[in-house]
Amino acid sequence: MSLFSFIKNPFKKRDTAIEIAHAHYDQSFWANVKKEFRKNKLAVFSLRFILFLTFIAITADFIANEKPFACGYKGNTYFPILKSYAVDIGIAKWPEDLKNAEWKDLQYDWSLFPLIPYLPKNIDGNNSQSVSPFETQNVKSTRWRHWLGTDELGHDVLAAMIHGTRIALLVGVISMFIASFIGIILGSLAGYFGDTRLKVSRASIISFSLFGVLGMFWAYGSRTYILRDALAQSFPSFIFQFLVSTCIFLAILMFARLLAYPFKSINYLRQKISIPLDIIISRLFEVMLSIPTLILIISVSAIVQEPNIFIVMVVIGLTSWTGIARFIRAELLRVRSLEYIESANALGFSEFRIIFRHAIPNALSPVLIAIAFGIASAILIESTLSFLGIGVPAETLTWGSLLSLARQTPTAWWLAIFPGFAIFITVTIFNLAGEGLTDALDPRNRK
Amino acid sequence: MLKYILKRVLIFIPTLIIVSFLTFVISTNAPGDPVETMLNKNQGGEGQAAQKLATEKAYNDLKHQLGLDLPIFYFAFTNTTTSDTAYKITKGSHRATLERIAYTYGNWGDVAKYYKALQNFESDLYRQPKEAKTAEAITRIKDYAQQLYDNYEESKIKHVFSEINFIFDSNPSLIVLNGAYNAVKSGFENCVHNQRLTNRYIPTIHFYGTNNQYHNWLTNFLTGNFGISYQDKRPVSSVIWDALPNTMYLSLISIFLAYIIALPIGVRSSINKGRIRERATTTGLFILYSLPNFWIATMMVVFLCGGDYLSWFPAPGAEPIPDDAPLWYTISETIYRSILPLFCWTYASLAFISRQMRGGMLNVLGQDYIRTARAKGLNEKEVIWKHAFKNSLLPVITLFASIFPAAIAGSFVIESVFAIPGMGSLTLKALFARDYPIIFTTMMFTAVLTMVGNLVADILYAFVDPRISFSSKK
Repeated sequence: MSLFSFIKNPFKKRDTAIEIAHAHYDQSFWANVKKEFRKNKLAVFSLRFILFLTFIAITADFIANEKPFACGYKGNTYFPILKSYAVDIGIAKWPEDLKNAEWKDLQYDWSLFPLIPYLPKNIDGNNSQSVSPFETQNVKSTRWRHWLGTDELGHDVLAAMIHGTRIALLVGVISMFIASFIGIILGSLAGYFGDTRLKVSRASIISFSLFGVLGMFWAYGSRTYILRDALAQSFPSFIFQFLVSTCIFLAILMFARLLAYPFKSINYLRQKISIPLDIIISRLFEVMLSIPTLILIISVSAIVQEPNIFIVMVVIGLTSWTGIARFIRAELLRVRSLEYIESANALGFSEFRIIFRHAIPNALSPVLIAIAFGIASAILIESTLSFLGIGVPAETLTWGSLLSLARQTPTAWWLAIFPGFAIFITVTIFNLAGEGLTDALDPRNRK
Repeated sequence: MLKYILKRVLIFIPTLIIVSFLTFVISTNAPGDPVETMLNKNQGGEGQAAQKLATEKAYNDLKHQLGLDLPIFYFAFTNTTTSDTAYKITKGSHRATLERIAYTYGNWGDVAKYYKALQNFESDLYRQPKEAKTAEAITRIKDYAQQLYDNYEESKIKHVFSEINFIFDSNPSLIVLNGAYNAVKSGFENCVHNQRLTNRYIPTIHFYGTNNQYHNWLTNFLTGNFGISYQDKRPVSSVIWDALPNTMYLSLISIFLAYIIALPIGVRSSINKGRIRERATTTGLFILYSLPNFWIATMMVVFLCGGDYLSWFPAPGAEPIPDDAPLWYTISETIYRSILPLFCWTYASLAFISRQMRGGMLNVLGQDYIRTARAKGLNEKEVIWKHAFKNSLLPVITLFASIFPAAIAGSFVIESVFAIPGMGSLTLKALFARDYPIIFTTMMFTAVLTMVGNLVADILYAFVDPRISFSSKK
């Protein structure tokens, strides 16, 4: 029995009468997947652990921070952690006496500090030279103890690990977001259209290729310096300018589409030729697979003046979409010949509406597997890079860079064990979740 | 079959071109001026005309020798603000500034005149006789003139002008330089005055022919000339040749070991699926697969190699074995030293391969023809090794393609942790020294190896699985 006989027909979805009739024995695809996934205890555990890690990543500022949650200082009550968010956005300002305060040494009326009262960037001068977790530490009280020791300079290892969770997950999620975006679009185009189904009139081909080049020129070429300045300024502003460029490009393509319209009255230009999309995109897969990701990132970070974690994310995303694209291509090859797509065609829906509204949603499940494994490998690549000291700014402490500190101070076993264990657990958990999904989605496991 | 191989090789070529293109684009965007790095000289404000001429000549000569004074590509597709001869400005930093000014004001002609005037002014400055009372002022003007080469913003250039004006006002004896200086000033004012911003949006194409940097770089690469390392000025090929054997020795042994150990493990664990011992093996393999090798390597160095804990193995970076050492000593020492790196290098691919083997085997064992083989009374051994094993090799063969790049990627970590002078540590060292020829050669090399791996995997595939036909059928 095929896996996808369980897929809900999108037209059926609207038919509430049938839905109600079937509600008693829910046989929908996702219900089955859920049931199978729940059987695998390890997979369920790994999913819970992922949620736990996500929680730590999001609330890292509240778990480990130099600032107190709330404090009374000179008669006023402050909520410094929340306030620092407001200051970052720019809607609030620190009072003069707290502007460059050493939060640890202030004389509070009362204070409520987070669980770990350190930030990764804080340097505890009293406990520098790698203090072990079990040694007597030079701290005010147990409240200020470095539970996982410190490094050479006196950074708190536990605080660095908690904030490292955020970087690790961010790398995994953002790079896979980019990868799935590219992979889903290219894979579905290749799978749905194949080599023969995309037929375009000569007028459109000429117009699109001409304005495609010109559009690249006007949208990106002429704005090179704007883009470059934005990148030098900050990454978000670069993204903004890049989106502006992309909008210009798309607008030019729309114009090209309109322009081709009148020319279609000429018989020669109206004739349609098929574009072998599948061949083109499959060649692209091959090229991408020939590019060694790690070395590409190393080369790219060699030419970047200032190391930036976002660049690592983007490069990982840009090079790891082939897995996702292959999955979705194979799925769409199958889906495109199903009746419901034919009927959608017969109803006169546009090709793109059929692909994005009807075909892709039914082909997404295997992509989840690729994403789970992809996050694991992205985290692994990022930690390898920061372990080698590439691509991540020196002052950012990540799991990988913490681990690399163990090489400089071989006596510090806590630097060798804890960050490495965090990487190991995270990678394993994502791999386990991927395995669980593979099993749950595998029709052979079903009765 | 031969036709298929030929076809695969033909696909190889465009892939190679695209990869080379990517590498080249990255390499041309590398910051810094390679010629200056190699000359190891900063052209400061000091020095006399003759000396300045000599450095400039050395600079231009080296640039010519490296072929960096040629246009970058076969053609250039740009806006009309730059000229097709802009590449002839030898200094990269000057060219970047000028192109930026030209982009801001949209008139290359005026910018070129401004540059010419600036150069004249500078050489006039150097030709000034050395007098005690003006020496300091001239040095300061030289500094400001240098700043003009690097600044494109109107406000900054105006600021530099006002500073120079001030020096001129306080040193009346410098009046001889006034003519050249005014030419610079009016040159810049012309740029601002004759703005033609529409030029930014008018595309032009310049053709340069085959005498360009990319063409030369690619043909050199294909003939084995990879350029010169910036660090010690040796040819890249000889630097790589020194490092390659160390990497090859370890990676080939580890690939061999991984396959030899992994295949039986994979087969065995698939036969006895569900038994406790096999489930333990599978779990163990899964854990091994997820263990980051840089972690294990670091732990081994910290806990097993000298340090404060056990010292079972030599610390990384031990002295090389002397050439005159007795043979058995060399052999035993080499083996002793490579145990840990080999272990770290092997275990992950071992786990990966055996997991794939297990999956492939499980897949095959569920097929009808295996049941038939059992039904006709073949013993289990024959069923497994003769009928199932060969057919389950397919996924393992596909892995072969990714083995080479994985080996080089692994070499970065293992070699840097264990201080082995191989390709990985060479590339890392080059990276931190910004020695681009080495980095980009490694990148091209790995890409080519990956492509060869893909090709070999495809061909092996055809040999193992007779069902795969490569005649062109659509």
